[in-house]
Parts: sequence; C-alpha cells; structure tokens
Amino acid sequence: MNAELQYEISRFYYQEAYLLDSRKFEEWLELLTDDIRYRMPMRITRENKDGSNILEDMSYFEESKKSLTTRVKRLRTTSAWAEDPAPRTRHLVTNIVIEDGSTEDSLVVRSSFLFLRSRAGDSEMEQLCGERLDVLRKVNNQWKIAARKIIPDQAVLGVMNLSMFL
Amino acid sequence: MKVKSRFDRTFDRELLQEIKEKLDQGLLPQWLQTDPDIYELEVKHIFSRTWQFLGHESELKQPGDYVTRWMVNDPVLLVKTNSGEIKAFLNSCTHRGTHLCTADFGNKKTFTCPFHGWSFNLDGKLIGIVAGNKVYGEAMDKEEWSLRPIPRVEVYEGLIFGNLDPQAMPLQEYLGGLKWYWDIFLKRSDGGMEVRGMPQRWIVNTNWKCTLENFGGDPYHVPSVHKSTVEMGISPSDPLYSSYGHQVVLEHGHCVNVNVASPGAKQTPYQGLPEEMWPMFERNLTKEQLEIFYKTTVIVGSCFPNLSFHCPIHGSEGHLHNYLTLRVWRPLGPEKIEIWSWFLIDKAAPEELKENAYKGYISSFGPSGTLEMDDTEIWARVVQASKGTMARDRHLSYNNLYNYMMGMGKVEPDTSWPGPGTAYPTCYVDFAFRGIHKYWLELLSQGVE
Ligand code: FES
Ligand SMILES: [Fe+2]
Repeated sequence: MNAELQYEISRFYYQEAYLLDSRKFEEWLELLTDDIRYRMPMRITRENKDGSNILEDMSYFEESKKSLTTRVKRLRTTSAWAEDPAPRTRHLVTNIVIEDGSTEDSLVVRSSFLFLRSRAGDSEMEQLCGERLDVLRKVNNQWKIAARKIIPDQAVLGVMNLSMFL
Repeated sequence: MKVKSRFDRTFDRELLQEIKEKLDQGLLPQWLQTDPDIYELEVKHIFSRTWQFLGHESELKQPGDYVTRWMVNDPVLLVKTNSGEIKAFLNSCTHRGTHLCTADFGNKKTFTCPFHGWSFNLDGKLIGIVAGNKVYGEAMDKEEWSLRPIPRVEVYEGLIFGNLDPQAMPLQEYLGGLKWYWDIFLKRSDGGMEVRGMPQRWIVNTNWKCTLENFGGDPYHVPSVHKSTVEMGISPSDPLYSSYGHQVVLEHGHCVNVNVASPGAKQTPYQGLPEEMWPMFERNLTKEQLEIFYKTTVIVGSCFPNLSFHCPIHGSEGHLHNYLTLRVWRPLGPEKIEIWSWFLIDKAAPEELKENAYKGYISSFGPSGTLEMDDTEIWARVVQASKGTMARDRHLSYNNLYNYMMGMGKVEPDTSWPGPGTAYPTCYVDFAFRGIHKYWLELLSQGVE
C-alpha cells in the first residue's frame, strides 16, 4: 500500500472522529453508504481452546443507514437525556491498517479506537476501547463507510450506555 | 452523656419501625438508595435468603454445557450433567478457593483447577488430585471434597434460580401469584421461550432498588424519560398512555404492570404475534390468561430481589415487535450495579419474527437501546443526588423523605380482575413500590436487633 493512500485514509478517520466529537452527526451520516451495515457484536470470555471470543449471535448494534438516521434524529429531540446535557466525547483512532483484499475502490481497514466520555460534573471518564473492521468504498470519488464491525475489548461494558457512535 | 449525631444513628429496630410508619404514609427516606450500612444489611439479610435468577434452561443444551454467573459476590457455576440435570456450584475450588472457571460459557467434561490441578466432574465430584496418594495418602477421601453446591436450585418454566439459604421456602411458593403472569409469556407457546446468544452486561452507577422499582412499578416515568420517542412519533402523545391497564401487587415484594392500549386506540391482539401462533396460545393458556394477553401491550415487572422482566412491543422504523427481556440487577456496591440483560423469544415463533424481534430489542433496550439509554442516565442521577448530608439525615423529615404516595387513598383495587394479587385499575400508582419496600423492610427487620 502506498503512503499517500495511508495518509488519505488516516485523514478520513480523523475527520470522522472530529464530526462525532463535535456532534455533527448529520455530517457523519453522510460518510456512510446507503447500504451500510453497522454492527457491534459482543465480546465474551471463552477458554482459548473454544475459539473465538466474539459472539456474532448477540450484538450491541445491528444498524442500517435508516436506523442510524433514526438514532441521530432522536438525539436531536429535546429529551434524549443520555445526551442532554451533552457528554464530552473523544474518539481516538490509531493502528490504521489497510488490509489485503483491498482494491482501488474498496478498502478493508482495521483500526483501534479509544472512546472517552465525560458526563456532567463527573471527574471520572467513562471509556471503551476496541477494534473496528471497516469496508470503505469510493462513491463519487469520495470514501464512504460501507460496513463497520465494532468489537469492544470488554465482556462487561464499562460505560453506562451506548448512546454514542463508535 | 451520650450524644449521637443524626448521621450516625444506628440502623436498629426503632429506626426500621419509623421507616415502616413513614412507608405506610407513602414516604421513604432518600438514603435507602445509597447508605453503605443498609447495603451491608441487604447483602446479609436479603441476598443470602431470597431466590436469585441464574439463567435459562435453553442456555444449557448438551451435557457438559456450563455458564458462569454471580449471586452478588458468590461466583456460580451452572452445569448440565450427563443425566441432563442442572446443577449449580460455588465456582471456587475446594482446595484453596481459586475461581475455578472464568469463562462465560463452554462445554467440559471436567473442571480442572489451574492452581494445584484438582479436577472435578460435571456432578461436582473431585475426581483427580495431582500426586494424590503420594501427598495426601490413602486416607484422603475425595468424596468429602466435592464442589460446594449452591444450597438450593429450583426451576420454574425454564427459569433457573438459586438460593443461598438451605431453609428457604420452595421457589414455587416464593414466586406465588407471579407465576400466573409469567405463564402468559413463558407458557404461551409450545417449547416456551429461548435465549438468543448470551446476556449483555454493562455497568451503571445506580442502586439495585432503583432499577427494581423502575421495572416493577414505574410506568409513570415513561412519558418523560422516554419523551424522545413521543417527539419522534413512535409513542403516543397522551401523557397517560402508559397508565392504561393494571398494576398488580403480589407477595414477597413481586409486582407486575399489565399495560393495554389507550382507550380508542387500535387493538393489537396478542402483542402483535402472528395469527398462526394464536391457536397455540389458546391451547396453552387458561381462559382468563388469554383474555388478558389478548389486550396486553406490555407486561413489565419485578421479582424481588433483583430480577426484572419486560415483555413489550417495541422496536424502531415503525416495525414494532414483541420480545422478552430478563434482567438481573447485580449489586456491586450501594452505588453500582452490573446489568445482565437476556433476550428471549418464543421457540416456536417463525424464524423471521425471531430475527425482527431481536433487532427490535437491540434498538429499544439493552445498552444501545434508544429507550434504555435514557433510563440509565436517570437512574444514575437518582443515586448522584441521594448521598448528601440532607438526604442522609437519619431523623426522618421533609429534608430526606420522598414521595411514594401516588394512588394512596384514591385508587381502590379492581375486584373483578381475574389474576392473583391485588390489582389496581391504573399503572400510575405507587402500590408496587410500597409492596417492594414492605417486603424489603420485613427481611431487613429479621436481621436487625
Ligand atoms: S486451589 Fe484448586 S487445586 Fe489448589
Ligand atoms: Fe424506562
């Protein structure tokens, strides 16, 4: 993979994080293709011999563009209390790797995230970290997210709710 | 002279009696939520004696299947034995107490302790000791060192419960009239309900009683906490919309709210479940249960001390589906709980419905649920504001008592209600809350000098 593409994709993720942390959710939705599959399966604790500790059968998010749009609209009501007063959030995205199987118009990208949230007067930050597996697709010469799988590192989530997008 | 500040007043019978008198007037001290002394008493005198939910039979299919659970601070290993029986053990090695099995679930023939290598079979029997004869000699009787069983394990319609008190009353008796309401969803279809996946788990800074109450008797919170869904046009704008139906107070602190549609609104028979399932319901339920189920939109309630259930019609995108979610509010201290949320659906339901109901659940309840996320925020706010000097004053006064008066002296029980318990003809009443706290006080009083 060439350095220029790596730079471009990193910029894409930083821009995405900026939109989410500045609560520009409608603009964030524009980064998603209309057929996006946005999922967050559960992490579970299993013995190594039992294989994967990601449970695809039960998830925290199972979203389409339409349902994500509904979520954003709900956040814009006057009574989405989990986000009003708005918590301060920080999406830190690192370890961005463009994977094999990528083509000129479609990239398979793996990244790590650390999500931090500060709620009202709490001095403690809530945090969630994990991995994202994305498929980015070029639409009208612009990268968009066509699929996202978010895998949390915790089997017991240390956040009060998932009112955010990851 | 003995001077006792109003904050160190001991938690004795006298104080409990005062609380009881206040409760009879519909008042309850705000510090019940967060007081550390009370929390200790609760662990000792409530969670050590009452039936706690451990899991559903459908989570354990084959012999050797196991799941690990908690009864507050007691780790529990729930296993299906070779004979198909379900057993529960303290998930702690009998040699030196190591947490034996730390995975959430799996399948095993033997449980081998990583510390010194003792191994136990599915029946909990000690079957292997590393260098046994050489170090312990012949005299060591393995039979005496089996895994320690949870004193009582009983099952009701697939729901597995444990009790740490060998003397506890039988589960069926403890559940009492609650069974009649549970049957409406547990027994309605052939094969009952089944769990999908594993329970979701997350941490909320609140007290277990707050969540128990919320599911147990608080349809009154729905129009405000979930106002966003009203603004979105998903819920009706009538502020009374979640009041229609009955709130039922049952023995042992259990309670149920059976909601129906607003007067004049379109009826969705049997919670919108497909017509092909109706003959099954008619076969499996009594005439009275069927009559109620036909009109029901939501059945929500709590089984004391820390299990709640919610069988609504919910979802998003205008596609509303019925499902069942079971909740364990595991206390992690006076101000913290670990929520365990199971998703269940009728085993006999068409596959498509199962899938849609699952999506309906994800979008409405669970940690990302657009309804639940606002609940968690509010639950945390209750605890946050109940820790201060004013709230903690143990002399009960206006400064620290809050309001559980809704419906008192105003709403009379509906004697024509066909189900067990005392049923009030609206859900905007605090009878269920007072029922919860009455039993809570009763158990606590038995442990206090
Ligand atoms: S503690 Fe389990 S074998 Fe020693
Ligand atoms: Fe709620």
